[in-house]
Amino acid sequence: MTTSDRITADVASATIGHRADPCRLHRIYVGRPRLFANFTERALSFDARTADCFRMTPAPIRSLSAPLRHLLALAACALTAAVAWPLHGTLDLANTVMLFLLTVVLVAAFLGRTQAILASFASVALFDFFFVPPQISFAVSDAQYLVTFAVMLAVALFISHLTAGLKSGTDEAIARERRTRALYSLAKALAGSVAPAQVVEETVKFIAQHAGGQAMFLLPGDHETLQVFSIDGGPSAAALTMTEQLSASAVFHSRETIASREIGASDGLRLLLPLAGSTRCRGVLHVTAHSSRHTPTDPPATLDRPLLEAVASLAAIALERVHFVEVAQCSQLETQSERLRSSLLSAISHDIRTPLTALYGLADSLAGTTSALPESERETARAIRDQAMHLHGMVTNLLDMARLQAGKMPLRLEWQPIEEVIGASIRAVGLTLRGNPVRVELAPDLPLVAIDAVLMERVLCNLLENAAKFSPPGAEITIAAATEQHWLALSVSDRGSGFPPGSLPRVFDLFERGARESPVAGVGLGLAISRAIVEAHAGSIDASNRDGGGACVRIRLPTGGAPDIEPEAGDGPEAGPA
Amino acid sequence: MSIGTPTSILVVEDEQQIRRFVRQALEREGHRVFEADTVAQGLIEAGTRKPDLVGLDLGLPDGDGAQFILALRAWSSTPVLVLSARSSEQDKIDALDAGADDYLTKPFSVGELLARTRALLRRLRPGPAQAEPLVRFGEVAIDLARRQVTRAGAAVHLTAIEYQLLVVMLSNAGKVLTHRHLLREVWGPAYSDSTHYLRVYVGRLRRKLEVDPAQPRHFVTEIGVGYRFQL
Repeated sequence: MTTSDRITADVASATIGHRADPCRLHRIYVGRPRLFANFTERALSFDARTADCFRMTPAPIRSLSAPLRHLLALAACALTAAVAWPLHGTLDLANTVMLFLLTVVLVAAFLGRTQAILASFASVALFDFFFVPPQISFAVSDAQYLVTFAVMLAVALFISHLTAGLKSGTDEAIARERRTRALYSLAKALAGSVAPAQVVEETVKFIAQHAGGQAMFLLPGDHETLQVFSIDGGPSAAALTMTEQLSASAVFHSRETIASREIGASDGLRLLLPLAGSTRCRGVLHVTAHSSRHTPTDPPATLDRPLLEAVASLAAIALERVHFVEVAQCSQLETQSERLRSSLLSAISHDIRTPLTALYGLADSLAGTTSALPESERETARAIRDQAMHLHGMVTNLLDMARLQAGKMPLRLEWQPIEEVIGASIRAVGLTLRGNPVRVELAPDLPLVAIDAVLMERVLCNLLENAAKFSPPGAEITIAAATEQHWLALSVSDRGSGFPPGSLPRVFDLFERGARESPVAGVGLGLAISRAIVEAHAGSIDASNRDGGGACVRIRLPTGGAPDIEPEAGDGPEAGPA
Repeated sequence: MSIGTPTSILVVEDEQQIRRFVRQALEREGHRVFEADTVAQGLIEAGTRKPDLVGLDLGLPDGDGAQFILALRAWSSTPVLVLSARSSEQDKIDALDAGADDYLTKPFSVGELLARTRALLRRLRPGPAQAEPLVRFGEVAIDLARRQVTRAGAAVHLTAIEYQLLVVMLSNAGKVLTHRHLLREVWGPAYSDSTHYLRVYVGRLRRKLEVDPAQPRHFVTEIGVGYRFQL
């Protein structure tokens, strides 16, 4: 172990001791001589257990304070003079100059530019004082030594300039490479992350290690308000000041000029970086510089802004990717549960309808005119048949409601004239309407409407069945359709008992029945289903009582945008009479 | 099929009680009824009995009713009446596209069953309507040879497409025609998704030929599926 090695280790240990907080000192660069670097590293890792130890080309001496480095430069010159002094008799003066120039090169390489300049002057002074006759004097006997001094100084200065420049270039390149490698490893770590927590964790770790800062993620929560994202789920201790919160939300919302923003604080610099994803801003990265300032003379903490901006964009991409993965998983899950629900419902539907079909059909056979049963028994069979049909209606409504309540019901919207659905509905409830004639009042030139015919038929069937249920025999039921500005207004009205007073606001609620304990069958689902279907069509439905008695349900459906029907070419008289 | 020999009907349905009342109803009408409860057995019965009509449930234990229709259509044009417990219109459309002629949604009454059966069997019989190019329904008379349509004696003007649509529906009377099928037949394959054309033209035919276009008796809407013309 050489003296210089021991010095390096001592200096490093002293540095660790001086900085006091081993957690904050994350890295010590161990310089040359390379031969002894291993030992130094070992000594260092022993002294500073928590600190990472990196072998780096920049000399550790560079991190010493400027006055100390100046002293070291002078000491190096003095050492050279001391080494050359005993050889003064045997060594030619020209070679002594070479020794001093070598010293200047070494100082430039290890201590820096200003130290090298100082060493250049000191070398010339020492050379003049100790070696140029008359010795131990600044006086010069031969004037030609002035040329030697001038050339020596010029060469020393030039060399120190070149060496120091080369050195700092190398250092920069190494630092850049290190940063690139670190960023690459961060990118790799982020690429493997599957949850926002992982992204946050990796990024915070990286910034702490490589950018000398403490990072915090502000991610949008409910209602787009920024919240501190904490990995452990607990409330974050690091509360933000009002200024920071306002600045963060300004950074988050300024979509056009996405730029990072600096906030000065008494204990160091804060940096707010937008996490700009490709589709939107994903949040804000808040970085506080590690405060390494213990005395006012220490340099203020700084942050490597370009590096942090690169980190922020990596984190933003990772957050965005994680977000889209989540979205994809959610929609896949939704599709699966939708499929399961629909197959479950159709299985139930099939299993209930099969025995109902048998019940209905068998009772209908018994009730038929060709049946050999006496009239009273046939009446019983008819009652069984009718009750089976009621049961079927209820099951259909319950299943429809289950489908509608399950969430998104896919609508098969097709442009069609409303009268077609009206006609089909009247036909479908034909038996129920036997005692009540239906009048259809259609305004001329009704526009096409985009509706799901099957669902809209359910609505009209429900309304017609209700109307028939509450109408006295023979009373007319009216269906009317007309245009009202951009709407198609459809109404079903009867001359029955009407809605009970006070119940109107609630008639479309689930399980609401016109009259409590009413002898009229029905579970009150019909109107709720009707409302769900009409609202799915972006329409509205309301109920009222008519003047002179009876109920009226009005539906409004949006119109407009119907496709054109091309007029027929050659609309000639070919099919008509000549 | 000559007059006097009873028509034979094959019922393919896995629920025994449904088979029972269907059989009773059809036998009272004078038909001979054969039963099957699976697709495989149904196809064997169809091959050996050569029925005049098949009543078919769509949800059979060993397969889908549509498979049965496709297999049957490979060698037979026997009319098929689907008895479907499914509420999904797509299942009905699939069955009709596979070659079924009509469908009944469960639960159905004996009356409906017999009416549909009669309509389908009538199509088999070479009736006077086909011997003579004159079709009548309600007040309307259509002379297919002269391409003339009259209503209560007065001439009715139909456009080329309206007339073509009418002819396609007339020649498939009693049968459910899907939207897609009608669009292809009348407008051509390029229009097979333009259902609004079909709906508007059916509406025009109703206004010209029906007594009450809002409650049509002949140009019947099969909601979500297509149309049926009935005399």
